[in-house]
Amino acid sequence: MEYKYLGKNINRPDAISKVTGKAVYLDDIRLPGMLHAAILRPEYAHAKILGIDTSEAEKMPGVVKVVTGAGCPFRYGDNIRDLQPMAIDRVRYIGEPVAAVVADTPLHARKAMEKIKVSYEPLPVYIDACDAMKSDAVLIQPENGSFWHLPTLQPIPGTNIANVYRLVKGKGEDGFAEADVTVEGEFVYPFGSCAAIEPHGSIVWFKEDQTIEAWSSSICPFIIREDLAHSYGVPVSDVRVHIPDVGGCFGYKSDITVEQTVAWIASFVPGRPVKWVASRKEDFTSTLIGHGMRTFMKIGAKKDGTLVAIKTTVQHSGGAYADTAVNVTMASTHNSTGPYAFEHCDLTGFTVYTNTPPVGAYRGYGHQESQFATERLMDMLARKLNMDPFELREKNFLGEGKTASTGETMFKTNGDIQACLDIIKKEVYAHPQVREDENYYYGRGFAAVFKTPKGAPFSTKGCYMKMNIDGSVSVNMAGAEVGQGLRTVVRQVAAEALKIPPEKVRVYTEIDTQFSPYEWQTIGSMFTTQGGRAIIRAADKLIAILKHTAAQVLKTDEDYLEYDGEYVFLRNDPTVRVAVKDINRGYITDDGITIGDVAQAVSDARLPRYSNPDKNGQGSIGVSYTFGVQAAEIRIEKKSGKITVDHFASSYDVGQVINPKQIRGSVMGGALMAIGATLYEKMEFDAEGRLSNPHFFNYHLPTYKDAPRMTVEFVETPDAVGPFGARGIGEHSVIGAAPAILNAIYNATGVEFYEIPITPEKMKKALDARQEK
Amino acid sequence: MEEKITFTLNGMPRTVEVDPETMLVEVIRDVLDLTGTKVGCDNGTCGSCTVVMNGRAVKSCITPVRKAAGADVVTIEGLAKGMTLHPIQKSISESGAVQCGFCTPGIIMELYGLFEAKPTASQAEIETALNKHLCRCTGYEPIRDGALMAQKLMQDRK
Repeated sequence: MEYKYLGKNINRPDAISKVTGKAVYLDDIRLPGMLHAAILRPEYAHAKILGIDTSEAEKMPGVVKVVTGAGCPFRYGDNIRDLQPMAIDRVRYIGEPVAAVVADTPLHARKAMEKIKVSYEPLPVYIDACDAMKSDAVLIQPENGSFWHLPTLQPIPGTNIANVYRLVKGKGEDGFAEADVTVEGEFVYPFGSCAAIEPHGSIVWFKEDQTIEAWSSSICPFIIREDLAHSYGVPVSDVRVHIPDVGGCFGYKSDITVEQTVAWIASFVPGRPVKWVASRKEDFTSTLIGHGMRTFMKIGAKKDGTLVAIKTTVQHSGGAYADTAVNVTMASTHNSTGPYAFEHCDLTGFTVYTNTPPVGAYRGYGHQESQFATERLMDMLARKLNMDPFELREKNFLGEGKTASTGETMFKTNGDIQACLDIIKKEVYAHPQVREDENYYYGRGFAAVFKTPKGAPFSTKGCYMKMNIDGSVSVNMAGAEVGQGLRTVVRQVAAEALKIPPEKVRVYTEIDTQFSPYEWQTIGSMFTTQGGRAIIRAADKLIAILKHTAAQVLKTDEDYLEYDGEYVFLRNDPTVRVAVKDINRGYITDDGITIGDVAQAVSDARLPRYSNPDKNGQGSIGVSYTFGVQAAEIRIEKKSGKITVDHFASSYDVGQVINPKQIRGSVMGGALMAIGATLYEKMEFDAEGRLSNPHFFNYHLPTYKDAPRMTVEFVETPDAVGPFGARGIGEHSVIGAAPAILNAIYNATGVEFYEIPITPEKMKKALDARQEK
Repeated sequence: MEEKITFTLNGMPRTVEVDPETMLVEVIRDVLDLTGTKVGCDNGTCGSCTVVMNGRAVKSCITPVRKAAGADVVTIEGLAKGMTLHPIQKSISESGAVQCGFCTPGIIMELYGLFEAKPTASQAEIETALNKHLCRCTGYEPIRDGALMAQKLMQDRK
């Protein structure tokens, strides 16, 4: 559909401050009297702490306070309250805070930290869930099961299993009786780091008036506010959290991560703000990490290719604290069907304590890990059935009238994945495949994918808008701008809803819980959907106020009036009108008496009819679906095994494109991030739980020369929920790369891989082994 | 151990009294309070800390401040003239190259160093310069587009 301000490239409101170096990120904030913290990390990934000697550190220059975890009376967490701000009697991962120094400068804090002596008694280390789940494994959290947790979670006390999630649809596993053919496999998506270029950091200030003020590189100010209030026994209204510009998130700055640790440290120096910013190494080892997922999957189909049953078991290495991992496991498990309809589903997800940093959100939130399995198996099934891989998928798409694993029925308004696939066929498969030559094998592969948000009953976003005396509008929301461009979206959606040019819409900059309307957290690719709805709802209220006033001025009924952004006027006679600028603070009559209200409005929006799953995992859990297809054309160097992605194509049904330049940038960034995970990125923990590559020179992020030519195209089937039909797209671009590239490797060489990343060494080894056969 | 070190920063003579082994980025950010130069790693890999010293792009997180003695240093704050953006800033702000913006100042300074020294740099030379920087948001294509737009603007200006 044609809109006046949607589908247009307006520039980002924050572009100028970012290119002039004036954007303020966490580490750029300076407060009067600010102190600096350095945090000591353990020598072991799992050990009892026998003693901590801080006496030498206390004598060092500039030191104000040395802090340990001793005496900390609380645990925290939103799903499982198993987190603690600092280790007390044992350490459970290599980046855990053991002690901290507060000093006048960061250098003094670091120098003093080196003088802290800790003695440990090492314990067995478990990196992989499959080891930690064994019956004789030492318990990483001996109190597992007794922590407060959401009523929907099922921990198994006496084990390292923090949660078991179950979904049964139809006959479950018994459904395989109806299958003629099955395929199965075990797929591994290893640990990775979101690795935003801005590391994590926080400032916390315990004030003499009993209030707490905090700044953080985070997307969850209201979660931080509630968590700190709960932990320190103050009213939520007495905690004020600011979010400055955030230099990339990609998941790991969600939930509450480093803030509680910095708060614990700052609580020992009341009256002084304390800043801590992660080094790159700490950003790898001491914040949330991603993936760590092993997926066992079996798919059953009829001879004609009709899918009938799926069984998935996800073993998720959740890290030393499982609060942030449980929901990733669940999302991964219930969407492990991929974008296909299965009558029978038996899906199980285990979130398991392991001796790694806590695992949490990573762009894609579990979807790329399990759909890696689905999309590799779909290709294998097509070969087994001797069927075209496109046809097999087309036959089984989760289209109109079909039900998802959660029991939700799909409608036309959920999008057109077939149209996405048709685009991929045209862009990637219409030309003949490049033939093997002296130096290279060539291959192409694709993957059909989908994602839903991981919602929650209280997931909502607020919008406050006020119209100014000149008819310009200020919009205030609490969506965290991490680079995704949501402030541009706010500007365009508000302009469309209020029928005024985008230049007359000024969008908020920093978030401050003292002024910002409530938002749960900026997660799950939900801002455009929920936030956009909130904007439209607020705009409708604001326009209603204008009409209410205009009705009195024009002496008529409100429903007889129209609004066009500049005037409110009679429907049949636009010449009988009053200017918006004359009524937006009430209408001042000739004698100075003012009638009507100020044009300002507040609203919020949830995922409509989101529900908790029942005991079989059925319910309205997905709510907002986005489907798409991605494909890769690759080249494998025979000599070295090096894989080059020459062309990567993505096509999604996003309902309505709001800003073409931004959405293309978002999808390209996500695709490249996932190409990185497929070919290069893996956090290498050794048997002792130490990370051997916590730097950018040994954890390779894709660089300019690794980036392929990108095709990005969109289908626009309007959505029933989102603003002007728009859907979420922030995370979806990371899902298809691994299966598409691995399917392309098979296409090029006949080699099947089940685990990423595919390094040149791994590829070369596989090619050599193939030749020996 | 502290020494007086003088250099020109964005056209102004500045003198600091610091340990000469202190990295230039710390002096720029923490002593001279210019926070536009960013720190994304501490070993010269990500490029966020890039500034231009004596006409060449350098990574200020691995450049000891002693090397800046007597030098002419330009940071991101030194490019715009009042309200007028430098052509590189203008192009990068319009090409879609800015998402989170954390790598942006370093990339702009890299291009500034390149184009000031070699206005006619080839696309291959531009790509080699961009390859020294990590961006997690954009997939790089819009940054290349911005760089090419900037080069054209700078050439047209002359």
